[in-house]
Amino acid sequence: MHRKKYPFIAGFLILPVGLYVLLVIWPYLQTISYSFTDWSGASQNFNFVGLDNYKDLASDDVFIKALQHNALLLVLVPTLTILLALFFAFMVNVGGRGGAGGVAGVKGSAFYRVIFFFPQVLSIAILAILFKAVYRGDDSGLINGTLQAVGLGDKSNPTEWLNDPDLVLWCIIFVMVWAGAGFYMVLFSAAMQSIPKDIYEAALLDGAGRFQTFFRVTLPLLWETIQTAWVFLAILSMDAFLLISTLTSQDFGGGPDHSSEVISTYLMRNFQTYSKSGYACAMGVVMLLLTLIVSIVTLRLSRRDRIEF
Amino acid sequence: MTAPATQPPVTKVKVPGQRGGGRGPGKDGMEGKTLNAFSHGFLVLWAVMIVLPLCWILLGNFKTDSQIKSSAWTWPTEWTFDAFQRGWEKGVGDYLLNTLIVMVISVPLTMLLGAMAAYVLARYDFVGNRFVYYFFVAGSMFPVFLALVPLYFMVDRLGMLNTYQGLILVYVAYSLPFTVFYLHSFFRTLPTAVHEAAVIDGASHTRVFFQIMVPMAKPGLISVGIFNVLGQWNQYILPLTLMQKQSGSDPDRSMLAQGLVSLMNQGNYETDLPALYAGMTISMIPVLVVYLSFQRQVQSGLTAATIK
Amino acid sequence: MGSTPGTTGTPGSDGVGRRDLIKRAAALGIISVPTMGFLSACASGGGDDNDKAKTVKKTKDNPFGVAKDNDLDVFIFKGGYGDAYAKAWEASYEKKYGGSVAHSGEQDVTGKLQPRFNKGNPPDVVDDSGSKKMKLDTLHKEGHLTDLTQLLDAPSIDDPSKKIRDIMLPGTIEQGTFGGKFHALFYVYATWGLWYSNKLFKKHGWKVPKTWDELLDIMKDAKSKGIGGLAHQGKYPYYMNIVIMDLIAKTGGMDAVKAIDNLDKKAFVGNPAAERAIEAVYEIVEKGLLMPGTNSLEHTEAQTKWNEYKAVFIPSGSWLENEQAKQTPDDFEMTFLPLPLLPDSKMKLHALRTGADEPFIVPSKAKNVQGGLEFLRRMLSKEGATAFAKEASSLSVIGPEYVDKSVQLRPGIKTALAAVDACPVDERFNFRYSEWYGELDVAIQNATGELMAKRITPKKWLERCQAAVDKEAAKNPDTKRK
Repeated sequence: MHRKKYPFIAGFLILPVGLYVLLVIWPYLQTISYSFTDWSGASQNFNFVGLDNYKDLASDDVFIKALQHNALLLVLVPTLTILLALFFAFMVNVGGRGGAGGVAGVKGSAFYRVIFFFPQVLSIAILAILFKAVYRGDDSGLINGTLQAVGLGDKSNPTEWLNDPDLVLWCIIFVMVWAGAGFYMVLFSAAMQSIPKDIYEAALLDGAGRFQTFFRVTLPLLWETIQTAWVFLAILSMDAFLLISTLTSQDFGGGPDHSSEVISTYLMRNFQTYSKSGYACAMGVVMLLLTLIVSIVTLRLSRRDRIEF
Repeated sequence: MTAPATQPPVTKVKVPGQRGGGRGPGKDGMEGKTLNAFSHGFLVLWAVMIVLPLCWILLGNFKTDSQIKSSAWTWPTEWTFDAFQRGWEKGVGDYLLNTLIVMVISVPLTMLLGAMAAYVLARYDFVGNRFVYYFFVAGSMFPVFLALVPLYFMVDRLGMLNTYQGLILVYVAYSLPFTVFYLHSFFRTLPTAVHEAAVIDGASHTRVFFQIMVPMAKPGLISVGIFNVLGQWNQYILPLTLMQKQSGSDPDRSMLAQGLVSLMNQGNYETDLPALYAGMTISMIPVLVVYLSFQRQVQSGLTAATIK
Repeated sequence: MGSTPGTTGTPGSDGVGRRDLIKRAAALGIISVPTMGFLSACASGGGDDNDKAKTVKKTKDNPFGVAKDNDLDVFIFKGGYGDAYAKAWEASYEKKYGGSVAHSGEQDVTGKLQPRFNKGNPPDVVDDSGSKKMKLDTLHKEGHLTDLTQLLDAPSIDDPSKKIRDIMLPGTIEQGTFGGKFHALFYVYATWGLWYSNKLFKKHGWKVPKTWDELLDIMKDAKSKGIGGLAHQGKYPYYMNIVIMDLIAKTGGMDAVKAIDNLDKKAFVGNPAAERAIEAVYEIVEKGLLMPGTNSLEHTEAQTKWNEYKAVFIPSGSWLENEQAKQTPDDFEMTFLPLPLLPDSKMKLHALRTGADEPFIVPSKAKNVQGGLEFLRRMLSKEGATAFAKEASSLSVIGPEYVDKSVQLRPGIKTALAAVDACPVDERFNFRYSEWYGELDVAIQNATGELMAKRITPKKWLERCQAAVDKEAAKNPDTKRK
């Protein structure tokens, strides 16, 4: 194993690491340096202001609200998507009521697999256009129009989905779950099919019930896949920028009255609308630290012993 | 091993993952039936929730702008394809092509570089291995928008603003963390015996990687490739920042998401929703075709990746 | 964020050169490590003089010395006025000076231009408007704006004996002045208020309302007939603020306007005009006179519904008719209405908000500054104003006499112009706070959004607005605060 090992390692690492440092790490570091200035974002003139931006952040109500919303998205989007995906995966694989030979999934499983997966291949911009029409506040919105058509909606007082502080964030979460659940369903059903049957048989012989089997056997064996899904979904939920900025009110979204504000929208508004770019960078740095903590925690918590089949 | 004999009398038990596990019909208890009805109902509901909005918006292609803005369930009066022509003229085809040009190179390149790094990190001991690995993984959750401005200047210094190669490099760089994270664990699970045998036979490290490890890692590569296709397909803020005309005469090289959002913003002033919906539909069709023809491969690719 | 923009001189706006800054940054250690290379690259990069456009000798005919065959880069906010007018200007410029004129018509001005300003590669002419405009104050502080005084002193194209400054309507120069210098040409002569369909009025026998109560009566009557009283562009509370702020102004007079612009301690809370006005507006909400769903609509969505007679009134500026040209029925008879009065108002019924809109700037780091100046001069000509009237159906700041008689403005804008004519110059007003204090504007807009959705009371609205004023005042201690 020692033949020219180091040149080989260096040769294989230099391109990926170089590119990563140049285009990812270095810009992040520069963001940090900007966060100590009063940069306006419109030129390369700025003054050093020390920790002022950070002090302002600590008392910025909107920023704190945005952080809370980010935390909410970070927890809910992956959790809901994964739970729903697990349920779907279960149904299309083994939820069916078998005939003589036994059938794997429910009737129409193949159909569900195709349909559920489809939203994931739509560009996120399409989701924005689509759901803008779906959530429209008057009777021309799909939801309100349908509710009114079947006599459930109040025509003179329709639900303004995206203009209701109690609903708007849920509407956004729904879009993300709607788009993602199918993909993870496919991912999980793949993983389920790869679990050896004798493990189940053993569990069944021990008299485990359906739920017990699921929680004691399936879930732990799917853990690695779920972890991957969680990481990917967490990245996605951190950056709900396009959806929120196009669907909700205020410059760069986040409305009404900051009730769907997340860091990305508030950061962009500070950066562009308010010309407070140094402040926006400070926001970015706080966000960076928080994501770092979340990643570390996730990795620690999810590190489990691998089961070799 | 699918003999019904192994089935315990508790017929409510369904075995996740067990293909062909027979269950006697009609043995489910009432509770099971209700649960089943509910579960089935939910599947149908979810399918409706996906199909209905999409069909509804397709219908919008044939409505007039004011019809779309009046009651949701107005039916188109004229079935013309005018909107598609207007949508096409807005450049949706170009956006699609631009996206394709970038991704045809960026996705394979991401996987190549990601696999190289992940392989070395997973299979070789050297000083700083853990550091480099965590260095990559740490970046996986950082939101892109935090680095936008310095990134813009960096790409500018490389002279690559509003160029395909610039965006490709950036896509690769930002996809590396997740790719390395994913493939690292994959390479670790591959058996070492083949590798060692090859080394004993005198194969170079590079040959071992390309001729032995990559083929063995194919399922993992396919599935991380799918992740990357989806991830890069949905990039918005990176192209928005980097793929902008640098002068009035610079060509428009917008990516699809960016182009569609710009059409949507434009529609807030000179409103032509049918054309916007048509543009959206046009951009969906190739994706739909590709997806429907390859969905089996996509799904089996994911399946293969999880069988280790 | 520095001093009060626009009102006083802006300290510390110039001076610090780039190279100087690098030295300072280097001394500061922390910044120096990651940014040194990057900053010096910038200092040596963009804005080099050798790629500037060539010039020729200045003549009376060519006061800025524009050489032939230099390219010009024009960036237009493509909003309610469209961008066809700009294409006409560009064609005319191209014909005269050759070269190629590049045209961009965009909505997201900041998104597209902030990076280009940053790296010193801005277009030669920018129409900096819309909800994503770049703040002029910031651009000015960063030294990005060419001093347009030379444009003011240049001869007019149609009558070289007159200077440009003498043909512009009063107030235009003042509005474009930052730090004592004229930096932005606000080109469009605009007015703001309520709009209605005269056809709908005739059909239901309504009379033009003079008082707030009469306005409410029409809305109530409309409601009983299944029509919304007021539509507003809910996703952008900017529009509803036209109603609220104008009602405050008309009730409390210029003092009320100045109180808000100057961040007075009693701008909202303790200002009887503001208190009465917001109560009056809230009546519309409370009595259910809003068009259903209007609070969440995109502006063109709300306007289209209004065009379909789903609501009687809608607030907007004079671009409304042009923006809705395709959606408006031929017999709609779009009509402008200055806001009706509350009892004992300080201003008269005809008083209205007017101002120059759509600022055009020439970035100081542009390659072809001379061409940009000449482009602006040509806009301020008979040919330029006529093209604008024809393509955007609106007037420019050089007034109607520069528009060719063959051009017919649309009927709605004519009613708005008649309303402006009916108002003596010293009774026209305008607010400046939204331009000067971006965050205050957002805070007031958010409060208005909440009020219209019936989630806060008028009292709470006043408190929130006052709190936002106080917060802004704390950041800008040098304002003329009372």
